[in-house]
Amino acid sequence: MPFPRRAVPRAAPGDAAAARRAAPRNDATVRRGALAGAAVLALTVLAAACGSSAGSPAGSASSATAGATGTVNWEWTLPTSWDPVTSSAGWDVHALGLVYASITTLDPAGTVGPGLATSWKYAANGKSVTFTLRPGLKFSDGTVLDAAAVKKNIVRAQKQPTSNIASELAVISKVVVNSPTSFTLDLAQVDYQLPDLLAGKDGMMVSPAAFTKNLSGLPTHPVGAGPFKLTSYVPDSHADLVRNPGYWDASQIHLANFTVQAISQPEQILAALQSGQVNVAYIAGNQVASAKAAGFKVAVIPSEVVNELDIQTTTAPFNKPDVVKAINYAIDRQAILKVQASGYGAASYQPFPKGFVGYNPSLANLYPYNPAKAKQLLAQAGYPHGLKITLSTVSTSDPLAEQLQSQLKQVGISVTIKDIPAATETQFLYLDKTIPLAIDGTAGRNSPVEMLDVLYSQQGLMNVNGKKSTTSPTVTQALNQALTVPLGSAKYASTLQNAVSTAVTTDPIHIWLYTNPRIFAYSPKVTGIPHDLVQQRWEGVRAAG
Amino acid sequence: MKRLIGPQSALRLPSARIAIVVLLGIAVLTAFGSTLAPQNPLTINANALFQGPGAHHLLGTDYLGRDVLSRLMAGTRLSVLTALEAVGIGLVLGTGPGIATVFLGRWFDFAANRVTDALMTLPYVFFAVAVTAALGNGLVQAMVPVGILLAPFFFRVTRAATLEHARAQYVEAAELMGASKLHVVRVHVLRKVLPTIAVTTASMAAAALLAVSFLTFLGIGVQPPAPTWGGVLSSDLAYLAQAPWAPFIPGALIAVTVGALNALADAFRDRRGAGTLAAQPDPIIRTHSTLEPADDDRQSQVA
Repeated sequence: MPFPRRAVPRAAPGDAAAARRAAPRNDATVRRGALAGAAVLALTVLAAACGSSAGSPAGSASSATAGATGTVNWEWTLPTSWDPVTSSAGWDVHALGLVYASITTLDPAGTVGPGLATSWKYAANGKSVTFTLRPGLKFSDGTVLDAAAVKKNIVRAQKQPTSNIASELAVISKVVVNSPTSFTLDLAQVDYQLPDLLAGKDGMMVSPAAFTKNLSGLPTHPVGAGPFKLTSYVPDSHADLVRNPGYWDASQIHLANFTVQAISQPEQILAALQSGQVNVAYIAGNQVASAKAAGFKVAVIPSEVVNELDIQTTTAPFNKPDVVKAINYAIDRQAILKVQASGYGAASYQPFPKGFVGYNPSLANLYPYNPAKAKQLLAQAGYPHGLKITLSTVSTSDPLAEQLQSQLKQVGISVTIKDIPAATETQFLYLDKTIPLAIDGTAGRNSPVEMLDVLYSQQGLMNVNGKKSTTSPTVTQALNQALTVPLGSAKYASTLQNAVSTAVTTDPIHIWLYTNPRIFAYSPKVTGIPHDLVQQRWEGVRAAG
Repeated sequence: MKRLIGPQSALRLPSARIAIVVLLGIAVLTAFGSTLAPQNPLTINANALFQGPGAHHLLGTDYLGRDVLSRLMAGTRLSVLTALEAVGIGLVLGTGPGIATVFLGRWFDFAANRVTDALMTLPYVFFAVAVTAALGNGLVQAMVPVGILLAPFFFRVTRAATLEHARAQYVEAAELMGASKLHVVRVHVLRKVLPTIAVTTASMAAAALLAVSFLTFLGIGVQPPAPTWGGVLSSDLAYLAQAPWAPFIPGALIAVTVGALNALADAFRDRRGAGTLAAQPDPIIRTHSTLEPADDDRQSQVA
């Protein structure tokens, strides 16, 4: 999925565009939502105020409410949809995680752990897995969150025509409810990635009452069981949330309120920080010095985000492998990293950052900068005098596009930069697959094999080759092999890394550029921001005054 | 003593002299900007991002470490020539019908005025965006609609000036003597309205330059890495936190150039007298018409 590439002045197209076209704007419903939200807020405040005397249905919730204070105003991209099933960007997981709790969660290093489920166990043959839920779970609307609710969620995600996660859950052939706190997923094939997968959007539980009664309203009126509840939402502007005392890990949520504010112009972000409009902001590497000089703290959080070029190897001239190799050798990734991100991040030749389980050290310097070799490869491919190509991006003034244009020109590749309307980028790039070469980036996935699947498999959204092309059997086999190795197995890392290597070298449909850490500038009054590799979480965060 | 009423008179104004100097400088940059640029305007320098003005980079560097002075110098040609393209289109489309409408009867006049009215309602930015969407993104394409929307201004000014002369007695006399409409326009009218058109052209050039800057600011019509004044300004605004001084440089260049064009137009207008269109004696009238007013009389009217 594309993501807002903050390393450049303007947010990268895809996700920003997706966010802009997000949920259908319905002012009436938004106003009604705001009123309802205000009522919920008032009741919440009243309940909190009377908590000790009137009593709370859940003792844990009552104790969790005590002491929650402060507000985080987070500058971030609003999701394409507040419904995890119809969300169309991997980047959305960060915002959706505010409202929804998942079956499992990932720790800061990306290792799967308990979430709504406390534990899970695979059958010996690996073709079914049984999860145990926490007792007494409820959605923020009071609906019971039990195994039956989980089943309804999975079935909806698989069958709803507008679902964007159906293919990821297709491996689940049947959901069996064993008891209110236990359910078993029967699998069509061995797949040990499922717990990872259910830590993300695929495992985010939506109140069945909400999607049964008002499915069309879900993109703007989410009802989950996450750390916060949405009280008001203005598309393209902001979302207001309040703490959900019923969240299973509410004791770690110390913030009373949370807002997500979308600021599309990066140059306005530091001003928003200085004015107090936001107190946590996602900034570009080249803004770090300014943020520090202004007295803000800066957190550079390793992330799975990697910038890359999507390239159709089925379209001339990219259907000649030497041309793709030449482009790879012609790109000076270190120079790009320095200019685009002020050195924050690392040059990359694969979809995972160093330190992640999927990172393959053998690819560490796959295409060292070598313009002479690039020229030689171009000549071999039949372009001794260079060639002309078109590079698509959402803004003709994209500095990354300009730098790539400059570097490729040195080996005789003349690049025309073509801007794509941000609102249509994902349509043309991912769905229609009509853009031969485009600047893009991965937002990461909760499951590394899912990430590879999205990038390289036949049905993968980010496999931009034409729909009629076929993924190499070698790659398919490597991906399937990775699914069959248990996460705790000693062979897991090597199998996953082999899949990465096979995909990257066999199907070079992504030209990897550099990893992109999540850089936050934040007020000194905000403390405890966790450094999560995959999904930004807010447990343990406090905001004074 | 004979008073100057032509360009020589206008150039006596300090504002006009300053404007001429500025515009000559711009003309030099238009012709030789790329050659005179101290550095390659396209060279990216990863070690010199956002540098302030200094000895090596007199106007600093941009977000890719490129020399701003060189980019502005090299970008002058594209910015100015496309502005002139728009003015040329407006001039051709506006002045011809502006003169013709006086002589081709009231139906033509009515139709031309209504078309003009319609064109004046169009916002040029949206019109330019629509045309570039249809014709492809390029400055040449983008300036065609701008030129079309400048045409009504040329049309109205030319028509008003022509009307004044078309009713002059020496024109009536020429017509009575059998002169054709084409002859009257060419010999008696065109020469008289040319100074007015010149003033309008200077004003419209300023407007076109602003339009070019604005469109390139929006990224319309520019193919990177080609530098333009508006493009440099636009990209600078995206990095205010890193280089807050940067937008002032292209902004000042645009402002000074537009100001110079307007100052020059004002100087000519002021020296000629508002609404007075008799710039020079008419040699044809002097030769063939007994209705010609004395030179001294006319000059006293003008002065």
